[in-house]
Amino acid sequence: MLTVTRLRHLAASPDLRAGFVEMLPACLGLIPFGMVCGVGAQAAGTDAIAAFGLATIIFSGAAQILALQLYVAGAPVAIVVLTCFVLGLRLLMYSAAMAPHLASLPPRWQRGLAFLLTDQAFAAAIRRLNATHDPRQGAHYFLGCGAALWTTWQSTNMAGYFAGNLIPASWSLDFAVPLCFVALVAPLLRSAPNVLAAFVAAVAVLAFGGLPMKLNLIVAGLLGIVAGTLAELFQERWKAR
Amino acid sequence: MEGALKLWAIIVLVGALNYASRLSFIAVFSRRSIPPLLARALRFVPAAMLTALIVPLVVMPSGAIGPLSPRVPAALVAAIVAFRTRSTLATLVAGMLALWILQALGR
Repeated sequence: MLTVTRLRHLAASPDLRAGFVEMLPACLGLIPFGMVCGVGAQAAGTDAIAAFGLATIIFSGAAQILALQLYVAGAPVAIVVLTCFVLGLRLLMYSAAMAPHLASLPPRWQRGLAFLLTDQAFAAAIRRLNATHDPRQGAHYFLGCGAALWTTWQSTNMAGYFAGNLIPASWSLDFAVPLCFVALVAPLLRSAPNVLAAFVAAVAVLAFGGLPMKLNLIVAGLLGIVAGTLAELFQERWKAR
Repeated sequence: MEGALKLWAIIVLVGALNYASRLSFIAVFSRRSIPPLLARALRFVPAAMLTALIVPLVVMPSGAIGPLSPRVPAALVAAIVAFRTRSTLATLVAGMLALWILQALGR
């Protein structure tokens, strides 16, 4: 169990502090996204505790927004959960990349760090883990990154939730939701297979718009993933010739 | 299921599955490596799923395809800024400004 002495020892770890401090610039960039997620929860008519639950339990902006959208559209729980699961599949990739670095750590460290595994924490911590030979140092750094992100995420979500109804509808602030995702997707469009995956998903989500329960989202997502994968395989065969 | 109970079921189940994905290779399958084809496919999850999420919000915010909304060109402006800067803040500022200008012009 964590004792006060251990916590104090942990807080004194230079690696934990480094992770926390080096994550702060990325946290600044997350402020608008966190606020948009909070505003989204407020606009969906959730109470403050559910908004807090979304941010703490799901702890993934894209999944929170997607879950809220489907909930507002009246999709059944199973469809919401399945669609969010497909979106969350990228976490498997992060988990697999992290696993060898964390293999020698005690299980409670593994379970704790897994909870903090997000796009941003992964990007920051994997660099450090690749660079260090001491998994404990890497784990402390990761914990520092995760703590900075978690705190930023909870506070900005709550700020957005409570500020949401102060912003007039004429500002069209709901448009900030797709813009946050555009900020994530557009930089990926530097490789042809990613472009094709996005294009197929875009066409499919409109073409299958008539499907009930917003099933078009998951169908379009899966078709895009298949298109990107096939395109990349094809590209590699072509280059190998 | 209705209202608050349904929302909490979603929060708990989505959260649990997200956590299971995060924990998967770190703890449960720690002795296995990820199958190469799966690893390849997973790299396309963000581009495909997020685009599927973006497009309806931009093209038909009210739920049906109507006359071309100023959101489409505004989103394109934002996409160009995002591609170049990789900055969420710059993307948000560019996209919102473009939308506000186009809405003002359309009035």
